[in-house]
Amino acid sequence: MWELLLSPPIFASLIVQGLALGAMYALMGVGLALTFGVLGIVNFAHGEFFMIGSYVMYFAAAMLGLPIPLAIFLAGAVVSVFSAAVERGPIEQLRKRSDRNWVSDTFVLTIGLSIVLQSLAQNLFGTNQYGILELVGGAVPIGEIRISGDRLFLLGTAILIGLATWLFLKYSTLGKGIRAASQSADAAETLGIDVRWMGTITFALGGALAGLAGALLITIYPASPTVGAGPLVQSFAVVLLGGLGSVPGAILAGLLIGVLESFISFLTSSGWQNVLLNYLVIAVLLVRPAGLFVIKGQRP
Amino acid sequence: VTEATNMEGELEVARPRKDGYRFGAHWFVGVSLTLFALVPFMAPGRYTTAVLISILFFALFGAIYDFMVGYAGLNNFGFASFIAVGAYASALSQLYLGTSAWSGLLIGGLACSLVGAFTGLITLPLLGIYISFMTWFIGETIRLTISNARGVTKGMLGLVVQPLENVFGLDFSRGSDPISYFYVLLTLAVVCTLTMQVIVNSQLGLVWRSMKEDDLAAKTLGIRTGWARIINFTMASFFIGAVGAFYGNYLGVLAPTKSEFGVIRTVEVLTIAYVGGRGSLWGSFFAAALIVSLGEVFREFETWRPAVSGALLITVVIFAPKGLAGILDHIQPVFARLSERLTKMVSH
Repeated sequence: MWELLLSPPIFASLIVQGLALGAMYALMGVGLALTFGVLGIVNFAHGEFFMIGSYVMYFAAAMLGLPIPLAIFLAGAVVSVFSAAVERGPIEQLRKRSDRNWVSDTFVLTIGLSIVLQSLAQNLFGTNQYGILELVGGAVPIGEIRISGDRLFLLGTAILIGLATWLFLKYSTLGKGIRAASQSADAAETLGIDVRWMGTITFALGGALAGLAGALLITIYPASPTVGAGPLVQSFAVVLLGGLGSVPGAILAGLLIGVLESFISFLTSSGWQNVLLNYLVIAVLLVRPAGLFVIKGQRP
Repeated sequence: VTEATNMEGELEVARPRKDGYRFGAHWFVGVSLTLFALVPFMAPGRYTTAVLISILFFALFGAIYDFMVGYAGLNNFGFASFIAVGAYASALSQLYLGTSAWSGLLIGGLACSLVGAFTGLITLPLLGIYISFMTWFIGETIRLTISNARGVTKGMLGLVVQPLENVFGLDFSRGSDPISYFYVLLTLAVVCTLTMQVIVNSQLGLVWRSMKEDDLAAKTLGIRTGWARIINFTMASFFIGAVGAFYGNYLGVLAPTKSEFGVIRTVEVLTIAYVGGRGSLWGSFFAAALIVSLGEVFREFETWRPAVSGALLITVVIFAPKGLAGILDHIQPVFARLSERLTKMVSH
């Protein structure tokens, strides 16, 4: 097995495959990290936002026959509206009552939400899997290797979405408001920033990122009620490696996990790859609880 | 005489509250448990017994979950895998070492408390929600390891576990009404919960509560919160393992699926503990009775069952953080007054 890695085509295609998957993990991870950084919410229902995204994608692209980019956009839009409603509904209710145990309370609240959403999906759509075979299809020859068009499309779209998110957070007024609110809610409020709205927008943005990942990954993870469970664990691994609440950390860790996973599942058969990933997360939690990439003295 | 009893009655009420209960609540729990034990006589049959056993397992696991989260603030998100450790330790020692199923309860408990102590140890650098993450990933690692080590555990194919050996003329063979399992489990549940009750009402319980309220402040007062955490993990894991071993014997076939020993089961137990009310061990019994029997009554809407318990969990977290035990708080003055009257009547 190991000597196969020396052949450039296999190595390169593993890298591309890993990066494409990793970019998706990074998107989901960024969503989780933002929600925690700004609102202090550990969103256990993140996997269900992914699930809603993949259902919307299936209905829009496969049943209504909408063009793929429009369907992807629709998935993101639907999930962001839905998550905004969640933030304004149950989470707002909890905010009025909870005080010191906010983090663990929201964690348990989103656990409840995740069960409810899974059960709703099962009752509405059954346990069947709804998948799309390919989004763009074909293969692109790069040098002597051919890389599947879908993988490149995934990678490209993820980079595009990531870039858009980054530009939004860095340069737009809203994005600056969100960053200010995440650094110090009180100071931001004093400066006239509507922290409540920033929270809702952040939660909607985080949900949208999960929904977009769900829509894009529909060729690998077909829509089903429990489809979010796998990506949820992966995205938690991502934020724990990258540091809870850190957006750059989530991007790096997402890519790292994607590439690692693609290599490990190439080298080992039988489901040990998840065990190895878990060991990595446990080790990082033990040695660097604030995340792999956090520089000492820097604000986590 | 009247004055003296009056004095006594007042003293009874004025006694500092232990574990959120006053005198009356013990009556309430005792009467409910007695009624519960009598159900097989009122409605005999395999079905009733199976439902009652399911209630008891959930109640006891919920109480142990509460022993961790409600008193020490430790949200053990790998709970279901700890059940698996107990069940598998007992089953494997029966299979490979030829130990009896009854000693398996002890073996399961000890094996699980070792794992628990280790888990407590490696969560030491962490606080709050990070403990849940650590236990979550440890739990998943345990489950996936069991599932991958097919040579030893048979993995997803399923490991056959022998039923408990017959003792004292009680029949534990499978295929008949599992009534013996019910009464042994009821005894186990009452003994475990009473033991936990004694522990949380002791000095150790106070240490845990201080740690839960504010880890740093407790440390400042000279409390070794690290040790306290490891002790809580170890004790709770012993109970989980022992009950888990019994669960394995009752179940007959073990497979490390997500719904049996994964996050899904953990969430079910967590729901029981939260709905019962954090910081009230007996609350879990009422929550389990409520949730399991609701599921049975509305059997034709089986697919909606998770949605209902999820909605219940959300409602409890937002509107009733004290859970069912909060309702008990309202009932208990009535019982306290009743028991006061009874005491008066008896002393006259």
